[in-house]
Amino acid sequence: MIKKIPWWVGGVLMALLLLFTFSIFGANRPIGASTYVPYFAGILFDLDPQKYTYLKEIHNAGSWEGVMLLGVFFGTFINALFITKTFRFTVIPAAWKKYKNNSVASRLIWSFIGGFFLIIGARLAGGCTSGHFLSGMTQTAFSSMIFGGVVMVTLVITGKLFYKEREDV
Amino acid sequence: MYDKDTSMLERIFSMFQTVQNEEHGSVLLVFIIGMIFGSIIQYTKVHKFEKIAGFAMLKDTVVPKMLFLAIGLASIGLFFMIQFGWASYHVKPILLGGLIIGGIIFGASMAIFGKCPGTGPISVAEGRVDIMVGAIGGILGGLVFTLFYDQFKMIMGSSLGNLTLSGYFQDSQGITVLIFGLALIAISFAIPLLEEIDEDDIGYRE
Repeated sequence: MIKKIPWWVGGVLMALLLLFTFSIFGANRPIGASTYVPYFAGILFDLDPQKYTYLKEIHNAGSWEGVMLLGVFFGTFINALFITKTFRFTVIPAAWKKYKNNSVASRLIWSFIGGFFLIIGARLAGGCTSGHFLSGMTQTAFSSMIFGGVVMVTLVITGKLFYKEREDV
Repeated sequence: MYDKDTSMLERIFSMFQTVQNEEHGSVLLVFIIGMIFGSIIQYTKVHKFEKIAGFAMLKDTVVPKMLFLAIGLASIGLFFMIQFGWASYHVKPILLGGLIIGGIIFGASMAIFGKCPGTGPISVAEGRVDIMVGAIGGILGGLVFTLFYDQFKMIMGSSLGNLTLSGYFQDSQGITVLIFGLALIAISFAIPLLEEIDEDDIGYRE
């Protein structure tokens, strides 16, 4: 069984999937993957969509992405168990150990903070790597190019400041 | 639509029903799109911390190479599909405050977390405990954004329009999109291939 594909095969397949999803034969809409988070938060915390403007605004997009993300989760879970065999419980990523530290507490606290602000940032910008980068730039949208430029620069600056080669490992 | 006693199960059922009633593909199709989307990411490993945080450290370039190639190819393809009437534009508005401040917060978080909202669930599905904790953070982020939407809206600013590069060069749309797409494809191959590898990853080793 194939367990890994090269980046360029992935790029071609992703382009085909984007085009299929955009097309009237597919879903006639772009792929997005961050609206589902506040949508699920609304369900989990039992917020009334009639009372919260935001939940009302994202009702349709959130539902669509919710179903799509269930597909992502289910599909990759099955792959991880039976094909790529990548399922295993781990807490600290290999590169975190190499470039940051070996502390479980540090990784978990930073993950929590990172996850929290990742969604705040994505919802402020109205999209993420999927909605803006992939789907937005495919439409040559200026909004997505602005987002993409800001994200790339901030990502690299943060990477430079936050991580360093550890000499003690 | 919802009464006070709506249970979580009913709301999840309503999620499927909403998709089924919309004209954006059946529940099954949307689910399959998700499965394929997730699998492409999983097989190319671009959801791995080593790939995303590795890109932030400029030690791995698979993420930008794959992104630019996908966008370059898809932008040209989408242009033709729209000409044939097979698709239409769904462009996001330019809300400068939201895009810039949101982009800064998103970029910094992505470097530290090593995930984005679409790749996180794949790592959760592979048993990454740190990402499960991050997902709880994300859900709370979604809750805070929903509760304080009015305040966040002030940061986002007003829309400068849903503008596109191809719309700006209206008289030469085709050639503009072609140059844009080919330039991105060229960039994706020009970026040198660097890889940061998770040696514990069995799928990678074999």
